[in-house]
Amino acid sequence: MRHFGSLRPLAALALGLLVSPAAGAAQNLVVQSATEPPGLDLTATPASATAVVVFYNVQESLVKVDRHGKIVPWLAERWHTSDNKNYTFFLKRGVRFHNGRELRAADVKFVIDRAMNPETKHPYPGYYAAIGDIIVKDDYTITFTLKGTTANFLLNMARQGSVVYPREAVDTLKSEPIGTGPYKLAEWVRGDRIVLVKNPDYHVKGLPKLDRVTYRFIPDPNAALAALKAGDIDAAMFGLGPEHVPELQKDPRFQVIIGETTNDVIMSMNNSRKPYSDVRVRRAITHGINKPEVVKGAMFGLGTVLGTNVDPLNPYFVDMSGAMPYDPGKAKKLLAEAGYPNGFEAVLRVAPQYYYTVRTGEVLAAQLQKIGVRIKIEQVEWGQWLSRVWKDAEYELTIIGHAEAWDIANYANPKYYFRYDNADFQKLFTESEITVDHKARRELYVRMQKKLVEDAPVVWLYIHPRLAVTKKGVQGIWQDLPLPAFDLSEVAWAK
Amino acid sequence: MAFVATLFFVSGLVFVVVRVLPGDPALLIIGPEGSPEAAARLREALGLNRPIPLQYVEWLTNALQGDLGVSLQYDLPVGRLIASRLPVTLPLTLMAALFMAATALPVGLYAARRHRRAGDYLAMAVSQIGVAVPGFWAGLLLILLFSVHLGWVQSGGFAGWSTGLWPGVRSLLLPAVALGLFQAAVLVRATRSSVLDVLREDYVRTARAKGVSELSVIGKHTLRNALIPIVTVAGVQLGQLMAGAIILESVFALPGLGRLALGAITARDLPVVQGVTLFVASSIVLINFAVDLLYVVLDPRIRYD
Repeated sequence: MRHFGSLRPLAALALGLLVSPAAGAAQNLVVQSATEPPGLDLTATPASATAVVVFYNVQESLVKVDRHGKIVPWLAERWHTSDNKNYTFFLKRGVRFHNGRELRAADVKFVIDRAMNPETKHPYPGYYAAIGDIIVKDDYTITFTLKGTTANFLLNMARQGSVVYPREAVDTLKSEPIGTGPYKLAEWVRGDRIVLVKNPDYHVKGLPKLDRVTYRFIPDPNAALAALKAGDIDAAMFGLGPEHVPELQKDPRFQVIIGETTNDVIMSMNNSRKPYSDVRVRRAITHGINKPEVVKGAMFGLGTVLGTNVDPLNPYFVDMSGAMPYDPGKAKKLLAEAGYPNGFEAVLRVAPQYYYTVRTGEVLAAQLQKIGVRIKIEQVEWGQWLSRVWKDAEYELTIIGHAEAWDIANYANPKYYFRYDNADFQKLFTESEITVDHKARRELYVRMQKKLVEDAPVVWLYIHPRLAVTKKGVQGIWQDLPLPAFDLSEVAWAK
Repeated sequence: MAFVATLFFVSGLVFVVVRVLPGDPALLIIGPEGSPEAAARLREALGLNRPIPLQYVEWLTNALQGDLGVSLQYDLPVGRLIASRLPVTLPLTLMAALFMAATALPVGLYAARRHRRAGDYLAMAVSQIGVAVPGFWAGLLLILLFSVHLGWVQSGGFAGWSTGLWPGVRSLLLPAVALGLFQAAVLVRATRSSVLDVLREDYVRTARAKGVSELSVIGKHTLRNALIPIVTVAGVQLGQLMAGAIILESVFALPGLGRLALGAITARDLPVVQGVTLFVASSIVLINFAVDLLYVVLDPRIRYD
């Protein structure tokens, strides 16, 4: 776009036409993506950068978690179970993969068999561990027989690792994924962009609304902001921080979408190490933290204060944010009882790859100083964090966001990096996994959350907000993210 | 011989360092929400459990046959990945070098000729700013001015050469200026001091006394003699431009070699880290070799046996 001086108003007009396409014009959307996917195979990586592009847009699953967090039929038009052990799915007829072949029940069996096979190195083999047998009854009917009642079976079938792809395309999933989704992969220019184009044979009538979606990889948030203001991108979905929000909210060219996610930001304490092995110390630290101030200081006031692991998008969410209130006096008393009347020194290990970890750590360090816990912040690179903190639990304190939905299981795993090992909690969790009655299961979830608050294995700080910024006129973006997915099938420019 | 020895040393060093550093490629692929068992199986499949010397010998044998391995992240041959990034990084570095030379030589020369006068002080003040401003910040300021406010160029990204020469050059203009700014400022100072040294030489005074024109005094007697230290500094700077490209390519979202390297280090994509390092090391050795050859051209007294 070359224009000088007096030509600028004309160019601005042209830009205006571009950003609000007239009826009948091609509907294109250019989206910033902060991270390039490490591959496009959802069955090989849990990376959210991959899910953002592929999940729901290129590949889909038998059932889907919709924008309200509800599990709805998708590639299966319905399902049936009489005993919560045998689930029969009835596939939608006439659904075609991007290579033109029709989806059959044998494809579903193939992908789930493959996910269960340890040789394929699926990142979440645990989600399929309960499946005993898969029987293809006919081309459109498939039955899963579970080894026992599994409450989360349907949810697991809706997750990103359960997407259905054609058997013949299994070797190219990493670079050229094929699915049944509303968009087809057109090109992936490594290091620069991924382009999706409309799937004209999509099985949902009237969708998708866009003709082309381009994901441009812009890692620097300031560069992304400049690109948005210069009109080079139409939307930034995850790339901008809360500090950019006030300025963009005032700008009439943009709309800022703020919603909930399942990304709970926590400060974990290594429960197997002194002094954190003492529950009084863990409680003292929890009482020493003023969570609303943390959200204000580190996140510009954006983010929901959290009391336990369960996020507000979960149907079993109970607001426990006031259960362990900020009370420095009580915190000091608890520390004294535990044998630390003068507090202690602690190392907080964070990975600056996630911007909020360092900021949050700085606010926490200042707050905990007041109860005598003197924190030294140590920044480590992400690869090191994964090896040292997550894998080997070589840490005292750390901050990270857990983006996965329904991840309370981590607290029932004594080998997880929290090193929280409580038999009562583990028993409750096991029971919740096999309880399908909604009311009874909810009761178990309430008990689990109460137990977690009491034991304070970690400090649940806040839910990282969903922050999306688009040009005015972009419609249909999900406000909340009940799963780490970014469904663009209903997104369109206002006419 | 020295060329081969340098590359051999660099490849061995990088191979050991990236493997000894904490950070496991399998864990980075599987991520914190995947299962540790899956990560362990992946580690085994990637061959990362084998002894490092064995891995190195295997890598070296393949590299000598032109096979740099396959990227863990992209599942593509490393050689192909590097080749795909060169159409961005080479022109970017070249344009930054041109910007550096085209601004630093005249300004440095001008400052030397106006020694301790207003022009000299002004040139030094401007170059001081150039030295002090980090490249990424200069890049952001340039984006704000030329993309956001004036709308003359795109804020980032690479249009590609297939769309024509001008769109490609235009995508690289701002990053090249941001990249070359620091080095240009350094080179202004090197040029000024080198020219000042030569201007004080007897033969310059003699030339002037003989009535040789000022243009000839500067062009023939001064600049040529001052160029040896300038070329030495510029040679080192060319290598630094390639390093600087890592940050600038991120700011301008350019799919170049620097971003490939950065992404590969973060993801512990060992074959790519290894391949890019080898390529950059070879380039720097070649630049040094070219500088050595230039010495001979500039000063006929220099001879290599």
